[in-house]
Amino acid sequence: MRLVPWSYNIKSLLVRKSTTALTVISIGATVAVLAGVLSLERGFKTLFTSGGRNDIMIFLRIGATSEGESGLRRDQVRVIQNNLPEIATDESGRPLASPESYLAVRLRKLDGGETNVPIRGVGPRTFDIHGDTFEIVSGRNIRPGSDEVLVGEKLPGRIRNCTIGEEILINTSPFQVVGTFRCPGPYTSEIWGDVERMADALQRIAYQRVIARLRPEVDSKVFADAMAEHPQAPTFVVSEREYLESQTAAISFTLRYLGIFLATIMGIAAVFTSTNTMLSALSSRTHEIGILLSVGFRPIPIFISFLFEAMILGLLGGLVGSLLVLPLSGIETGTTNFQTFTEVAFAFRVTPDVLQTAILFALVLGLLGGALPAWKASRMRPIEALRRT
Amino acid sequence: MPIRLVWKQLWRHKLRFLLTVASLSVAIFLLCILRSLVVTLDAGVRASTTHRLIVQSAVSLFVNLPEAYESKIRQVDGVDTCAKMQWFGGYYKEQANFFAQFAIDPESWLACYPEVEILEGSLKTFLTSRQHCLVGIRTAEKYGFQVGQTVPITGTIFPRVDQKPWEFVIAGIYRATSPNVDNANLLFHFDRLRETLLSKEATGPPGSGVFVVRCRPDSDPVQVMADIDALFAGGPQRVQATPEGEFQAQFVTMVGNVPFFVSSIGGGVLAAIVLAVLNTMLMYGREQTRDVGILKSLGFNDRIVFAVLLSQSMILCLAGGAIGIGLAVVTATPMQNLLGTAFPNYQVSEQVLGSAVLLTFGIGLFAGLMPALSASRLKVIDTLRRGI
Repeated sequence: MRLVPWSYNIKSLLVRKSTTALTVISIGATVAVLAGVLSLERGFKTLFTSGGRNDIMIFLRIGATSEGESGLRRDQVRVIQNNLPEIATDESGRPLASPESYLAVRLRKLDGGETNVPIRGVGPRTFDIHGDTFEIVSGRNIRPGSDEVLVGEKLPGRIRNCTIGEEILINTSPFQVVGTFRCPGPYTSEIWGDVERMADALQRIAYQRVIARLRPEVDSKVFADAMAEHPQAPTFVVSEREYLESQTAAISFTLRYLGIFLATIMGIAAVFTSTNTMLSALSSRTHEIGILLSVGFRPIPIFISFLFEAMILGLLGGLVGSLLVLPLSGIETGTTNFQTFTEVAFAFRVTPDVLQTAILFALVLGLLGGALPAWKASRMRPIEALRRT
Repeated sequence: MPIRLVWKQLWRHKLRFLLTVASLSVAIFLLCILRSLVVTLDAGVRASTTHRLIVQSAVSLFVNLPEAYESKIRQVDGVDTCAKMQWFGGYYKEQANFFAQFAIDPESWLACYPEVEILEGSLKTFLTSRQHCLVGIRTAEKYGFQVGQTVPITGTIFPRVDQKPWEFVIAGIYRATSPNVDNANLLFHFDRLRETLLSKEATGPPGSGVFVVRCRPDSDPVQVMADIDALFAGGPQRVQATPEGEFQAQFVTMVGNVPFFVSSIGGGVLAAIVLAVLNTMLMYGREQTRDVGILKSLGFNDRIVFAVLLSQSMILCLAGGAIGIGLAVVTATPMQNLLGTAFPNYQVSEQVLGSAVLLTFGIGLFAGLMPALSASRLKVIDTLRRGI
């Protein structure tokens, strides 16, 4: 069974330049919308999961789903800090566990309006626990017990009073910004200060969580189960990675469903458009099909040939759509993490798998759009096709 | 103008006509939904009254204010009444079943919100019994709640020490006559929350998240806000009094730049559909070259030829637009249920429908213009010579 040469389809597409271009761009716009939403989801997710480490454990109040609603008493924190042999120690034998407080604080944005910026009170050991992944970008680190804060490197460009030397007013106490820092994950949108000073300034006594490193030989699952039943300090323990992943669930879910919803509805329109284009190709090429049939091409190769042409249309649309979203990559945007009601800055990420999904989607659009015209083409009878002009 | 010719030409390619109308309907439908989402976000904000203020912590949304602030706020000149309102943040049976619950001072809160009306049940039961609650009509319908039923709510901010859910008996079902009050809330007694915390049956932060303040009609809200802010400027907790609308707007801006996001998607949809309709019209135009020649040689002038082509585009678009708009109207209620708490007041407003109609006309004109112009400029000789 001889197939119709591919070059025939390519040339046919070139002959009808304007129709081909309109169809391709129309499919491209559809694909771009899907890819745009997906790259937004990817960007948000990457921000949260890139920073999460498996060897850092997070202790929250039982029943709390985020640190914003968690709360641990001082005595519980003391037990976790001092009485758990599973927690790793540094060279001088001090356990690597650090209490942290967390509060979304109302601050003014540079471009006007207010937003909720997370202020994290950190213990001195927090820096040791993060180890190499934490780094000071400019300025210096805070001194324990002082009214000084570090700001994540994303903040100076978004929030007022966040450059080194300026003061941030927390409730009624001013805190001086002494440095900017980088630490993978959503931390780069946070303000860090001494945990005890933050508690004083905010008039809150509770800690929101403890972070700690476990000894390498400890099984984190077994440890977590044991902590849930711990007599003095029953807590919910998860790895930092798992915790951050859980924080993205709501937004990821929303964006993914939005993507699917838009892709379905716009996809229907795009399939109809490519069907129209291929039907018009069919009717202007009836004569040619008659010739193909009379020189011995079988209906199946003609079916494949038309389908192939529709898929090329889809593929071109996919490429155009991908080109349209590529410039989005890296553009910073902000949204709220609704688990803690705090603003996080993140960038669109047009990753290879987003592009792959986009192009696959475009091919499917082409395929569906080409099915009916291809079937019609293959059903033609040579005599009738030749007779029609 | 030969109207029948217009129709015959369109109907000559039945499938193409139907497919184009269908994709137009889908696109206009989608644009209506997107536009409604943006309008809905603003609706609650715009419906708010300026004589109602929200006093919140100036530091953070999550810092509660001392209960004692209530009596101090009441003494500010121009304040009519003031009510505590605390976000409870629980869920019904499963975390996915989310609707807002608030602990409120029943009498003063209802005095602040006269637009809340009781549909079923007894307001008196609610006011006199601390075990009772009011439920918004949307939540009641969604979960099939009846008056008298006990609703278990698991507290996440205020978990009970025995790990069991809180239980509220429904005293009544309310509906608000204005979109600034969400019809999905569960409202219960602030006193019950305080007592449960004091008796150590549950844990959580003391105090009230916000105070709702109703100003006297003759007062100047700006002055009242300034006075309240000044009252607590020295601590222990600084406050920020804002008009209700601004308070709600802060939650809208949190989502990020939604209007921009939605218009970008809308732009994509629009581009796709305009090109698709243009494509269809160019096909129609090309195929009618010979017919145009015949029309002209029969004596129809350029303007009529122009009109014939343009009318085809307009009919195509108006048919698609009408179906799309119809779909948007018909699906408004299911969409509202689907969107749930994220867009509690989703509705397809007349303003949205109006812009959809305009848009439809716009697409029709745009797509029809090019084929119509080129057809009207065709020379008879050329068209008849080309054997298409």
